[in-house]
Amino acid sequence: MSARGFGSVFAVGGIAVAALGCYLVSLRVASERAALESVENKIVLAQRDIRLLSTEIGTRGRLSQLERWNVKVIRLSAPTADQFVESSFQLATLVRPEAKPAIEAPVVLASAPAPRRDGPVVTSDSGVQEAAPRVSRPLGEMMHIASYSKPEPKPSRMAPVPFTPKAAAKPAAGAKANAEKEGAAKVGAAKASTGKSAKSSSADPLSPLPTLKAAATKSAPTKMASTKNGAKTGASSDSGSGARTTTRPAKEPGSHQ
Amino acid sequence: MNAPTPAIVARPERLRLVGQRRQILAIMHQRLMIGMLIYGGIVAFVVLRLVYLAVFGDHAGRKGGPIDLAPTRGDIVDRNGQSLAVTIDAWTIGIQPAKVIGDKFALAQTLARLMPEKDAADYLGMLRSKQKFFYLRRRAAPSLVDSINALGEPGMALSREPDRLYPQTALAAHVLGFTDVDGNGSSGVERAFNDRLIDPAKRGEPLMLSISSPVQQALEHELSAAMTQFSAIGAAGIILNIHTGEVLAMTSLPQLNPNAAGNGSPEARFNRATLGVYELGSTFKPFTVAMAMDAGVIKSLGQMYPCPGALHVAGRTINDTHPYNRACSVTEIMKESSNIGSAQIAQQIGSGRQQAFLKQMGFLDKVAIELKERGRTLSPGKNWNLIETMTVGFGHGIAVTPLHLASGYATLFNGGIFRPATLLKVNAGHKVAPGRRVFSEDTSYKMRALLRLVVTKGTGKKADAPGYRVGGKTGTAEKYHNRSLKVTSFAGVFPMDEPRFVMVMMLDEPKATKETFGFSTAGWNIAPAFSRTVSRIAPMLGVRPDKKREANMAEVLPFDHDKDE
Repeated sequence: MSARGFGSVFAVGGIAVAALGCYLVSLRVASERAALESVENKIVLAQRDIRLLSTEIGTRGRLSQLERWNVKVIRLSAPTADQFVESSFQLATLVRPEAKPAIEAPVVLASAPAPRRDGPVVTSDSGVQEAAPRVSRPLGEMMHIASYSKPEPKPSRMAPVPFTPKAAAKPAAGAKANAEKEGAAKVGAAKASTGKSAKSSSADPLSPLPTLKAAATKSAPTKMASTKNGAKTGASSDSGSGARTTTRPAKEPGSHQ
Repeated sequence: MNAPTPAIVARPERLRLVGQRRQILAIMHQRLMIGMLIYGGIVAFVVLRLVYLAVFGDHAGRKGGPIDLAPTRGDIVDRNGQSLAVTIDAWTIGIQPAKVIGDKFALAQTLARLMPEKDAADYLGMLRSKQKFFYLRRRAAPSLVDSINALGEPGMALSREPDRLYPQTALAAHVLGFTDVDGNGSSGVERAFNDRLIDPAKRGEPLMLSISSPVQQALEHELSAAMTQFSAIGAAGIILNIHTGEVLAMTSLPQLNPNAAGNGSPEARFNRATLGVYELGSTFKPFTVAMAMDAGVIKSLGQMYPCPGALHVAGRTINDTHPYNRACSVTEIMKESSNIGSAQIAQQIGSGRQQAFLKQMGFLDKVAIELKERGRTLSPGKNWNLIETMTVGFGHGIAVTPLHLASGYATLFNGGIFRPATLLKVNAGHKVAPGRRVFSEDTSYKMRALLRLVVTKGTGKKADAPGYRVGGKTGTAEKYHNRSLKVTSFAGVFPMDEPRFVMVMMLDEPKATKETFGFSTAGWNIAPAFSRTVSRIAPMLGVRPDKKREANMAEVLPFDHDKDE
């Protein structure tokens, strides 16, 4: 009875809630729509600003202004027909480095003792790379050694030029072939306390060599180190190239300059 | 026992009273009900209205609808989309004398300080007048607007009005034209396309012209440099795409700033390129030769004509600047621009055919372009007799606009088809205008070598731009009223082995200078400018310089009998 009595109240309440819910939904929709509109308005305003600003930039950077600057300051002119290149190949020819004449300079066999450094002695091709970092030696020492030697008849590309050093180098090359001779060379190297590596002939062959002697005398204290190095690399070098072996004898001619 | 009169019987008045009261009560109920219904109705109306607003109405923070961005007048852009004319909201300063509350005298003095174009007395006069509103300044600078606003005077009216701005200032001023204060186009494209620009349906889209700003700038600069160098009173230049008739650049000097067109002199406002008509002289000779070839008068470019020192016809004497005094071929006539030879060719063509050809090329009508400023050709008209035919043959006695000439050259070199020039970019929405054939393709082809020869060996050597294969013809004509004043022009086409663009440049009354050794002919003043312009614009137009290419000179070289060069 009482529940039935409240039925209508519930009904009214339910309807009120439903109505309120509908109202809230519509309110929400309206506010969303309004937010959207305000965003659209902002977009439009931004577009108007863009238009204004681009007009301003265009006005300040107008072509006649650029032309005036060009006439007064920059002074660019139209390219001539020769400034147009046909293809990437033609372009490449423009940046080709100056052709340097092949250096026919003598391969001077450096004999300067440089025991200060105790890096490994150059052996074979890889030895050349190892040698690269030690460039900071006196100029005279930066003389070059044929890094490749073959039996006499055929000197390598970097073969010594007729010059006193060459005569020395050849025996050295011959010596390198067998291990014993190599050992002998080592001894020689130790005596001379050079122990220094072969260098490619890329350094200036015309640079003076006078410091060799001084270097040799100065480097005496480090003799032992260099000898050690010589021994070590010597062991590894039986496999082949005789960069080191050529080095040792080379110093003699070098030193008697 | 006379019983008292029974009192049970209600007195009739009373009965009546009861009936009345009941009646009244009923009426009162009725009225009450009506009142309640009205009241309820009002409440219901309010409630319903509230519900309606809640459901369909806007919320309190709502602003107006989105702003309409479309300008009140459409923009004009060049073929690359760069703005040439835009409508901006500019500040306008006005004054409403009735609303001024401060000291009018002090205000007038402040205004005179801020806007010195009028003095304090003028401003005071305005402030004391009965008129409602005065414009003080349109398109005011923001700084000025700020300082006016800082006065805090309610009588000063600051408002924003749409205003036309030409960001590139004088660039292509004569093409664009300008508008009056009410925003109606009064010349140029602004006038010709006024309806299109203000049409609400179309003004949101910019109007795209065929003009190319960089090319236009190059042309204007080189032309004005030449004009200054040779102290000319004016100049005109036109660049056309010969296949579509699009005007890539068109200028008329002296310059005009369309932002303040009213300040320009009438001379500056005058469009020499389409409105001015000039006797353009020898630049006409290629037409004469082409007509003769088409008409069968000239069978070969080696055909010989007598070229004496002077030719006497009907009481007039025709001279050459470079007399041959011998027989000369058509090639040589063109190379050294022989009036005598051209006159004889024209004579053979005859007046009727000459007019028919000129008519076909549009030379006898107003020039074909969208602008409203179009010049009317001055021709011999009804008196087109022998001597007129001969003088027209070398470009005298007929005055056309430079644009006529450019269209004519385009016709001559695009394979012989005349097309009206257009200022609108040719694209899907704007097709190439239908043309009409004037010259045969063969004639058009042979003319290439002929005009190339003029530049490589003839009068137009200074117009050559190495690598760009320029071909063209110089033209020097004397002004009718003063024979010492000249109009020099150069009409050229490049690249000659596959013609694509024609350019006409003209100087009005150039003077001789020391550098030109006292000459004021076209080969000395406008031709070098032509060369410089081609070097600048050709790369922009996609023409690659190539010194290994050349027109087919085998057409003409055998007939050039001058071996001295």
